[in-house]
Amino acid sequence: MTTFSMTATPLNAACTCLLADGRLLTITASRRLRANRADVKCTVPGAPAVSAQMQQVVRLARHTEARLDSRDQVVLSMDIAPDPGQREWELAAVLADRMVRGLRPIPVGAPPMAQGWSDRWHLGQASEATVDGVAIGHLGALDGHADLASAVSSVRAWFPLHSGGINDALAWVEVSVFAIEAGTHDDAGEEETITAPELDLAAQQDVRQALAGARHFDGHGLGRWRTVVRFGQPRFQGGSYQLALVMADRLARGREFVPRGRLIATGTSRAWHAGMVESVEGREPKLALISTMTAPGDRVLLPADWEASLPPGFAARLRERGASVACIDRIGMI
Amino acid sequence: MGWFSLRGKPSANTGAIADLGVGMVALRLDAGDVAPPGTVVVMFGASGQARRLAPGKVASSPGDTVFCFHPGPYTVDLAPFAAAPEWGLRVRLLIDAPNPHAEQQRFDLFLYAEHHEQGGQLSLADLGAALQTALQGELAQGALDLPPCTTLEEWHAFRAGFNQLLYTRYGLTVDDCVPVDLGGQVDFADVLRARALAASVAADDAMQAALALHTMSALPPTGVPDAPPTEPTLQPLSPAVSQSDPQAAPHSGSQPISKPISRPTKQPIAQSTAPTALSATADAASQTATQPAFHSTPPATEPEPRLQPEPPTQPPPKQPDAHTHQDAASLRRLFVELPVLSRHLRLLVLPEGPAIFQAHQLLLLRLDMASLNVDTMPSLAWAAPDQPLGAADQARRTAATAIAVAALDEAWSLLARLHLAVSEEWTALLHEADRVCANLETGLALRRAPYVPRQEPEL
Repeated sequence: MTTFSMTATPLNAACTCLLADGRLLTITASRRLRANRADVKCTVPGAPAVSAQMQQVVRLARHTEARLDSRDQVVLSMDIAPDPGQREWELAAVLADRMVRGLRPIPVGAPPMAQGWSDRWHLGQASEATVDGVAIGHLGALDGHADLASAVSSVRAWFPLHSGGINDALAWVEVSVFAIEAGTHDDAGEEETITAPELDLAAQQDVRQALAGARHFDGHGLGRWRTVVRFGQPRFQGGSYQLALVMADRLARGREFVPRGRLIATGTSRAWHAGMVESVEGREPKLALISTMTAPGDRVLLPADWEASLPPGFAARLRERGASVACIDRIGMI
Repeated sequence: MGWFSLRGKPSANTGAIADLGVGMVALRLDAGDVAPPGTVVVMFGASGQARRLAPGKVASSPGDTVFCFHPGPYTVDLAPFAAAPEWGLRVRLLIDAPNPHAEQQRFDLFLYAEHHEQGGQLSLADLGAALQTALQGELAQGALDLPPCTTLEEWHAFRAGFNQLLYTRYGLTVDDCVPVDLGGQVDFADVLRARALAASVAADDAMQAALALHTMSALPPTGVPDAPPTEPTLQPLSPAVSQSDPQAAPHSGSQPISKPISRPTKQPIAQSTAPTALSATADAASQTATQPAFHSTPPATEPEPRLQPEPPTQPPPKQPDAHTHQDAASLRRLFVELPVLSRHLRLLVLPEGPAIFQAHQLLLLRLDMASLNVDTMPSLAWAAPDQPLGAADQARRTAATAIAVAALDEAWSLLARLHLAVSEEWTALLHEADRVCANLETGLALRRAPYVPRQEPEL
């Protein structure tokens, strides 16, 4: 289950990986008292070299974690042995190791499927990596964080997408900014530097206007950036993604405090140049979705109008899961 | 004792003294220096006991260490998140009047434990960097929370935790703390551009390295024991150790006496295994002690040409020397701070209940055992009285000390959280204390072991 607390971390976790030759590999991680044994132990039937490599990968990836806990030993095992040259199981091993120690939530239902390898695990960067079909460039991208070593700062934020009950889901919007020379575009040309290649023209125009307006409100980000906006699910209607979009843009430009987990926001505005946040439709299903999908460290931002009508115990339930919620009427500092 | 050498030059500190209260927070004074009015003088006796004095001309007896600090206020800008350099906190700090209830002021301990080395100077920039690192670590671990679009309640909670952290960990009082837009000082676009430039410059190298790694990674070198120390690496090590040990021993107070003993015992063994080494220096003797079979065959004139090619290999000792200093400073911190930390923990007011009481007692016991472990820590450079340790093993030991010091830092911030905790949070925080203790013990155990400890066999 995805509940998180210091004392009740799971004892087992699994992560699957689809190898290039079509076989499905499952990496199972279990946790036990370390008792002066090695911190990571790996077993692969019939392939000791692969298990040694897996131990090295997991140890290198642990360098990117903020918390050191030397009490537990994690035992990782593969059900089938990959070929010696195959490396795409590496990301699955890293994720299983993190899930079993409670650093990443374990999804309800089927274990996640991850492919990816890296020569820079100690920096948290991964190559050709996908988790459940979503491409990531480094481990922090699972929480939408920017890569601290990359020249392109790209940040994801999530927003609830209401599509009739059973298909409700959290969708993400990614803002990538790249620095350009100041003065290349004047202030009026800010919208020209923003592209959203997957959207139709009307939606592109909305995205451009929202971002340019929010940057006017910020007063510092004009004419400095080339921006690309991508959506995990480009076919939607309505403007409730705009708060997530604007917050992702502020995070990508290094001008907002960074949440420990994901940022989940819903809200729109007709006056982003004034920093106002307005209410959106679909309150009940979106709140229900948010309260089931939050993970430890997540930050939930809702329009201020919703504050009075939040279901009782909503904030407490999120706090129990390690997340926090705020109802805001404008963006910016306090 | 570096400050003996400064005695003949009383003007060495004048520039820094004039800067006190502006760019310099504290510095170590020599006998004869004059502390300017408005500052506070702290004198540490040879036993580490501190007393605060009025400013004026410093008259210290040998063995005393005298620090002088300006109480401030100082203003520093901190970026709480490395990923958001343009969004920061402007903090106004001051070093308060001494707390009459405390036996030792925390700021005095901070100076004594962490700024004894490196000239004894604590500049405002260094202090700001230390505070920023501590703040970023706390936020990354979730001990403090500063989410985007912070509400007023969350801000107050953050302020309380931050104030307590700085007071408990550094002895600093936060006078004022406001979120501030650092866009005028740091331009994130320039930061990204610099990254792009660095990436393009290093692109070829990175590609080469990645290719090399990719081809090598099919045969990962895990589990391979450290290569036996070859003669060129072992040889420069001995002079580095012999010149750094006299410095480290009085500071850390935990260097065992195995090192002085090992010198005399080495000669007979060298004689018995390789009579040819009799005429050689002590350095050559350490060579022969490790590889006797190699040295028993050459004729008596062998040691002389063997010593000749050594001068070119002198530069490498910088690395082990840095290890020695870092390890000694870390052990000194543990030695000085662990008893104080456990005294502070003992003074906490516990909530009702036997479970918490027992956990608290266990925590104190484990900290005392860790303190004893530090007091008796063996020397860095020696595996046993007659066996010098290779550079790789010394580096590993230094890394293990760093684990223990990181746990010590976490223990101080945990103490700050325990000060503020309501009784429901105590169970979770004591669980956290269990983790910190386990890390401390792991680091110390790895530091104590001369070689990589034997682990369970891989199946």
